[in-house]
Amino acid sequence: MSVPIGGGHGLSNIEGHGDFDIVWPWNKTENHAPLRRGATAVLRVKNEADSMRFVLPPLLRACDHVLLVDNNSTDGTSDAASAIAATQGLAEKFTGLTYPFDVARAGAEHLAVPERSVHSLAYFYNWCFSHVRTRYSWKWDGDMVLTTEGEVSMADLSWQVGRADAVIRFPRHGLYIESESRAFLDLGLRNIEEWGFPMTPDFVYSKAPEWEIRTTPQEIRQFALPQGLVVELKYLDGDEFAHWTNPESFATSVRNRRKRREWLVFNALNDGDVPDGVVEINAPPGEHVVDHVTHTWLPRAPRPFIVDDPEHAKLHLRA
Amino acid sequence: MSERATRAIDEMNPDGVPRKVLFVAGAGRSGTSTLAGIASRLGMHVPLPEVPADSSNPRGFSEPQWAVDLHDRLLKEAGVQVSDSRPGAWFETGRISTREPARIRVAEWLEPHFDVHPELVVKDPRLSWFLGLWRVGAIRTGATPVFATMLRSPAEVVGSKQKYYANKLGSAHLAASWLNMLLHTERATREEAGSARVFVRYEDLLSDWVKTTMHVGHTLDLQSIVHTRSDLIREVHRFIDPNLRRVTSSLEDLALPPRLHELTAQTWEELNKLADPDGDVTEVHATLDQLREAYTDLYEEAEAISKSSVVAARIAGAQIAAEDGNIAPTGLSDRIPHDVRAKIPPSLRRGARKVLGRERATGQTPGDQ
Repeated sequence: MSVPIGGGHGLSNIEGHGDFDIVWPWNKTENHAPLRRGATAVLRVKNEADSMRFVLPPLLRACDHVLLVDNNSTDGTSDAASAIAATQGLAEKFTGLTYPFDVARAGAEHLAVPERSVHSLAYFYNWCFSHVRTRYSWKWDGDMVLTTEGEVSMADLSWQVGRADAVIRFPRHGLYIESESRAFLDLGLRNIEEWGFPMTPDFVYSKAPEWEIRTTPQEIRQFALPQGLVVELKYLDGDEFAHWTNPESFATSVRNRRKRREWLVFNALNDGDVPDGVVEINAPPGEHVVDHVTHTWLPRAPRPFIVDDPEHAKLHLRA
Repeated sequence: MSERATRAIDEMNPDGVPRKVLFVAGAGRSGTSTLAGIASRLGMHVPLPEVPADSSNPRGFSEPQWAVDLHDRLLKEAGVQVSDSRPGAWFETGRISTREPARIRVAEWLEPHFDVHPELVVKDPRLSWFLGLWRVGAIRTGATPVFATMLRSPAEVVGSKQKYYANKLGSAHLAASWLNMLLHTERATREEAGSARVFVRYEDLLSDWVKTTMHVGHTLDLQSIVHTRSDLIREVHRFIDPNLRRVTSSLEDLALPPRLHELTAQTWEELNKLADPDGDVTEVHATLDQLREAYTDLYEEAEAISKSSVVAARIAGAQIAAEDGNIAPTGLSDRIPHDVRAKIPPSLRRGARKVLGRERATGQTPGDQ
C-alpha cells in the first residue's frame, strides 16, 4: 500500500521560504472546522484581466467559493477580479491571493525544476489548493468560460458531489477572438480534461514531464460532461503561448496534441485562413461575441454536438 | 388566422409569449397535483398524455406520462428510490442527469410541445431528483425554467403516504426522506442562470387559491396565469375541493427519534419562511444550509452504525440471486452479480473486503479477484 503524497502534514520547499510552506487543508484546524461540504474553483492566473468579466460571473454563481491566485500579473488581473466579484454582489464567495515566485513555464523549463521548488508547477498548484476549505475542488483556468448549460451543470454537481471520490471531466473548445463581434470556435479538436477532484490526501499535485499532474488512488469514479459546456478564450492579438518554454516543448509527445492544434489554429487564423473544423461566429449588434457564444450559440447548437476530430479518432484506433 | 378568430375576447394571445417551463417540485402528497392542475386549468399546457386519475388522486395528477416513465427508468438506473433518504443519492441522479443522451431526449421531447403553447407545466413527485436534467432541457429549447415547490407539513405528508400508499416503511424513514427531498430541492432551485422560483404552502393553496396562484404567476412571470380568462377561473373554483386536505396530524404523532424530530421541525419552520412575501432571502438559505449539513451528518452516523445490516442484506440478496440462478458461488464477490458489484462505491467495496479480510495486494488491478 503506497503512502499518498498528501499523507503527511504538508510540504516544505527546498528554497526555505517558510512563509510558503504548505499545510494540507484537511490538516488545517482553524476553529476546529473540518472541510465543509461544497466545491471551490481554484484559478491560477497571470495577465488574464481581459477575460475576468467573462470567466468569473458564471463561476461565482456555480461554485460555493472561487479562489484566485495571481502569479505576478502586470495587467491588474487581481484588481479586475475583485471588482467583478463585488459588482456581481458575490464578493463573499471570492478570495484573492498572491503567489510571488516565478513559476516555470510548461515544457522543458518545468522538466528541469525540482518538484519541491517554489518555482515548480506542482508546488505552486499544491500551495494554491491548500487554501481550499471545501471537500471538492474545480481546477479552473483564467480563460475558461462556462456556457449557460455548463454553469447549471457545474452548480448542480458542486452541491451533489458530497463525499464521493469522483473525478469529473469537462470538455472544452477553443474560442479565438478576433474582435468584440467576431470569433472562431474550434470544433476540430476533441479536448476533455479532468477538472473536478475531491479534496483528500489521495488527490494532490505531483510532477509530470511537461506540466503538473493530480494524483489519484487506484480506484476512482470518473465521468465526463457533454461537449459544448466550456470555451477557452484565445485572443488573436495576444500572446497565447507565453506560458510555454517554446513551441518545440509541445512537439514532444501525444500529450501535447492539444497545444499543437492551438498553435496551428492560432497562426492560421492570424494568416487569414480558417482551418478545417473551425467555425466563424458573428454576434448580433450590441452583444459581445463571447456572451453570444456562451449564452445562445452553444446552448442552442443542435445535439448531438459534433466535434469532428480525425486525429482523435486515429489515436483511439491505434490504442 | 382562424385560431385568432375563435379566441375569446379576454383570451391571452400566446404569440410572442416567451417560452417557459414551470416545474412543480416537492414531496409526493404535498399538493403538487393541485398546483399543476390549477396552472393547467388557467391556461398553461401539461404535455399529453397525462397519467390517469385514480383513487389516491381522484381529480387527476397533471403529470405527463412520458416524464413519469423517464424518471422511473432513470431512478432504476441510478439505484435510487422515489422516497430515498440518502443524501448521497443526489449525486447518483445528478451524475445520470449529465449524460448527453438523457439531455437530448428531454430537449427533443419538450420542443414540439411548445408548438401547442409557449408555457408548459411539468410535474411529477420524482421530478426533484432530475431538476438539473430538466433545466438543461429547457435551456436547450430556448425556454426559461422556473420552479414552484409545494410545502406541506411533514406530519401530513407522512400520514398521507401511509394512508394512500399502504407504506410499510415507517414514519422515521418517511420523515427522513421528506427532509432529504425538501432540503435538497431547496438547494437545487436557488437562483441560477436566471431561473426564478417560488414556494407554495398547500394550506394557502386550499384556503385562497386565487391569491396564492396569482402570487406564483407574478413571481414567475407566467403570462397564462396572470392573464387567465374568467371561464377558466370558474373552472378552477369547481376543481378545488377544500376537503382535499384529508389527513391532518402533528409531528408528535409520528414518534420520531429525537434528533430527527428536531431537524424535521426546524426544517419545516425555515421552509415556511420561504413561502412568506419576500421571505426567500440569504439568511434563511444559510440556516437551511446548516440544517442540510446536520441531516447529512445524522444520516452518515446512522449509516456507519448500521453497516452490519447493510452487509447482511447484501449477503442475503446475493444468496437469493444465487439460488434463483442455480449458481454454486465460491466467494462473496462471486455471489453478487457483476452489475450489482459495479454499483457499489469503491470505498464500500474496499471496506467490505477489509471486514472480510480479503484486501487486495498492492498493484492488483481493479478487475483482479
